[in-house]
Amino acid sequence: MTPPSDATPFDLYARENALLAEADPLLAEAASGPLTDYLQRLVKQYRSTLRDNLQLTRHSDRQQAKLFDFNRNLKKQSEELEARRQAFEDLSNKLAKYLAPQVHDAIFSGRQDSQIATRRKKLTVFFSDIQDFTSTAESMQPEALTDCLNEYFSLLTRIALAHGATIDKYIGDAMMLFFGDPESRGVREDARACVRMAVEMQQALSVLRQRWRSEGFTNLFQTRMGINTGYCNVGNFGSDQRLAYTIIGGEVNLTARIESCADTNGILISHETYAHVTDMVHVQERPPVSLKGISREIQTYAVQGFKDSQAAHKLVALHHPAGVAIDVDLAELDEPTRLLLAQQLREALQQIDGNW
Amino acid sequence: MQPFILEATDRTPRIEIIPELGRIALSGESFPEDAATFYGPVIDAASTMVAQAKTLAIEFSLIYVNSSSMKALYRLFEVMDERRASGECSTEIIWTHESDDDVMQELGEDFKDRFPELSFKILATE
Repeated sequence: MTPPSDATPFDLYARENALLAEADPLLAEAASGPLTDYLQRLVKQYRSTLRDNLQLTRHSDRQQAKLFDFNRNLKKQSEELEARRQAFEDLSNKLAKYLAPQVHDAIFSGRQDSQIATRRKKLTVFFSDIQDFTSTAESMQPEALTDCLNEYFSLLTRIALAHGATIDKYIGDAMMLFFGDPESRGVREDARACVRMAVEMQQALSVLRQRWRSEGFTNLFQTRMGINTGYCNVGNFGSDQRLAYTIIGGEVNLTARIESCADTNGILISHETYAHVTDMVHVQERPPVSLKGISREIQTYAVQGFKDSQAAHKLVALHHPAGVAIDVDLAELDEPTRLLLAQQLREALQQIDGNW
Repeated sequence: MQPFILEATDRTPRIEIIPELGRIALSGESFPEDAATFYGPVIDAASTMVAQAKTLAIEFSLIYVNSSSMKALYRLFEVMDERRASGECSTEIIWTHESDDDVMQELGEDFKDRFPELSFKILATE
């Protein structure tokens, strides 16, 4: 039904006004007296109260309309802010993949300025690179190389982050990271964390290489690692337009040189680092060496593995000739599984002896 | 008389006046630019229907009501109360409000106090 049209605008107060309109002629004709006088005052007050009510309602409506508009604008602004926040978060998440988590957190929490500023600090620096990467790259299909390299860096990155490393950069097949900034657990603990990380990396790479071997890639990505502890300049380097959070200094260069002297799949550490981990790892002392660009002879130590009390977990990866694939992570085994495995290995040994 | 139905807008409630069911229902928010212009036809249609009704089932499910709309609602209640007073029509009013909306609950109670002779139920909804 169409709403009825009415030439006279609807009056919400029509009844009250009609009642008042009745009163005036009646009172005009009424005989004067106390009652008439009282009714006149009553009507006058009713008219005044009705007018007040009308005005109050009108003002109240206006205030409510203002509040409504305010709320609507507020809601719109909230939605816009939420959209911006979401866009900012998406951007931040994308950016996080290009920055070390500690650096990302420090910048986004406001703890770190984006100004050219550096400071001198004692850090433990880590370098790794893949031995003979150029020739390896030439012998592999680009797709396979890309997949393996991504898997390689993903593995090392995961371990590095788990140990609290600040990943400085990836340089081709090399990786540079450090401990001690922007967060530090103290020079000694930073050095120990770095060495623990390196040992775990080599162990994990050993397992990864076994798997790659089963897929047809033999001795892929054999990795050297070097660690050194010393004073570096750390902070934002570059220009006003573009900055890089990184470290520079003689100790950084020295770490790269030490790494180049490491054994295949080995970890070589400087004397300064060794001083912090003597109780933690077995090492083999190497004769002092002269390194390119370094005026003094450098004492280094090859890390052999954790001392028993410091072993995070023991991992057994046997040499894998054709027809053999045995990897055991002792930390993953509960007692019944360990006993069962031992029994199976004894039986396997008997069969192998029998074949001989 | 045909049904009178207005769909809700962001400032006005949905309104149903269905004579053959004796039903009047208002739901949503009510703060029209001009309450007299909006509610005038509603009160007219309701008055026409109520004058002929033997039974009335009225439902209010309002979320927000401004001052002028309250005045219009008082006017609607007056129409229903007068019909009730004639003794020719039974009227039942159900006022629902969201369980955490004490403002709408209180408004329903005010109407109930103002028109004590009308059968008036106030219900909270989740």
